[in-house]
Amino acid sequence: MNFLLNTGRTIRQGSSVERKNSATYREEASAVSMNPVDMFEMMVEQGDRVRVKSGSGEVVMWVRPDPGLGRGKVFVCLGPYANHLIGTETHGTGMPDFKSTPVSIEPTEEPVPSVAVLMRQCGGVPYEG
Amino acid sequence: MKVEDVVCPFCGCLCDDLVVEVEGTRVVNVENGCTLANEKFMGDHRLKAPIRRAGNAWEEISYDEAIEETAAILLDADRPLLYGWSGTFGEAQSVGVHLAELLGAVIDNTSTVCHGPSIMAIQEVGHPGCTLGQVKNRADVVVYWAANPIEAHPRHMSRYTTFCDGFFVKSAFRERKVIVVDVRETESSQVADEFVKVNPGGDYAVLSALRAIVRGKRDLIPATVEGVSREQLFRVADLCMSAKFGAIFFGVGLTMAQGKYKNIRNAIELTEELNRHTKFTISPMRGHWNVYGSNEVFTWITGYPYAVDFARGIAFYNPGETTSVDILRRGECDACLVVASDPGAHFPRACAEHLARIPTVQIDPHVNATTHLSRIQIPVAVTGIDAEGTAYRMDGVPIRTRRLFYGNYPDDLDVLEKLYRIIREARG
Ligand code: SF4
Repeated sequence: MNFLLNTGRTIRQGSSVERKNSATYREEASAVSMNPVDMFEMMVEQGDRVRVKSGSGEVVMWVRPDPGLGRGKVFVCLGPYANHLIGTETHGTGMPDFKSTPVSIEPTEEPVPSVAVLMRQCGGVPYEG
Repeated sequence: MKVEDVVCPFCGCLCDDLVVEVEGTRVVNVENGCTLANEKFMGDHRLKAPIRRAGNAWEEISYDEAIEETAAILLDADRPLLYGWSGTFGEAQSVGVHLAELLGAVIDNTSTVCHGPSIMAIQEVGHPGCTLGQVKNRADVVVYWAANPIEAHPRHMSRYTTFCDGFFVKSAFRERKVIVVDVRETESSQVADEFVKVNPGGDYAVLSALRAIVRGKRDLIPATVEGVSREQLFRVADLCMSAKFGAIFFGVGLTMAQGKYKNIRNAIELTEELNRHTKFTISPMRGHWNVYGSNEVFTWITGYPYAVDFARGIAFYNPGETTSVDILRRGECDACLVVASDPGAHFPRACAEHLARIPTVQIDPHVNATTHLSRIQIPVAVTGIDAEGTAYRMDGVPIRTRRLFYGNYPDDLDVLEKLYRIIREARG
């Protein structure tokens, strides 16, 4: 199914922002919030994993319901998971489209990667210390 | 030991009324802070020593070695990028700008992916702003546009607006009206007197409609504008026009959405229209602690607030060209020094990939996403906890932070000054 991806701050993201290797940060940053009716149509439940794809990349995340979101809209807190999907076009302003990236979402059985694994995919070397 | 009037080093509110209890080199209790402040002070998850990537592993190295190697990387680069700066204090930011000039580098701060477009709009049409104290004491209408203060600036509402009585607003609950405009329902929208739900990307049209109404052109407004009914637009405009003092706060929901800086320009021009009827102000909700300070420091040294390119030997500024995301996107920089921020987590993936390709050095107290992309990381004291310096609140008020204890880490200023000295000597 196709959605419009929005990103932003959440208090749990902010609370764990200095522990990006932690399970708490990973859980918050890799959650994709979705209207419950959309979840029903996709036949996914809270905690199920989904593959989210955009024109710039793809990443596995887990779903949670948010009735405050309109149908066809999804929200991911700012961070490396959301940024795996966001393109670099800035329209001459320096600012990418963090608030409006078209994505497609489908259920998957694959695991949600850690931040270190995401960074390894970008060419980095995970530091686990 | 209990320390009073401590300044919180997390978000742009810079709350300065915290009471912090310290035992040795640890904070054991925080009073008055929000969840974010408690985590900031009590969380003790620092990188212990400088680290260097060695093949597919990491090794600890000394500070001297780390700083010398960083200097060598920067001296070797043709187009270095010095990025970040919002989590540190003004004195360190100032050395950063001088370092950029010495290197002929590009220096950019986190407003590039935050309120950079707000600054572009302010450069076009000005900034009718005010301090948070004015809002607290006078504002009877407060508008949060594309901002979610309960999650991003948790004490903004309780210190300055919705839940805070002021000198001329004796009972905030009864006398202050709060309007929230957003594309989704949030905790902040739930406490609003009026919640305006706009279609994603529809802010510009809604702002234009409100401007038309304030100008007296109600008959031009169609039945709905980007998901907002005409009746609600009239109601919001009437609320604003009948205010004694109104304050608009806007978040990155406006700067990042379609239209970018043109949205902010329209919001400022709405504020201008409202000032024909009453007193209205508008201010950005600056997020990352001292990001406002980085704009101030960059501006008083170079004339420009962010994205400053010294490659020509003089300061040059052109958002879209000299901004970090664009430089990384084009694969242009050949070394990067990251100070007090985390582009690995907060830049699009393709930018992170370029950071991994080039020698990237990070100066930061904590392990973050950029750590994995770096060649070297140098841990430093946390500003506001074991380092002190000047920071700017979101409304442009400079506040001196306090050092709560002397720890074992050098601060950003110590490391940057050493780096500067080595590079100046090498450049002769
Ligand atoms: S609102 Fe911001 S500055 Fe105030 S205590 Fe919370 S995080 Fe700190």
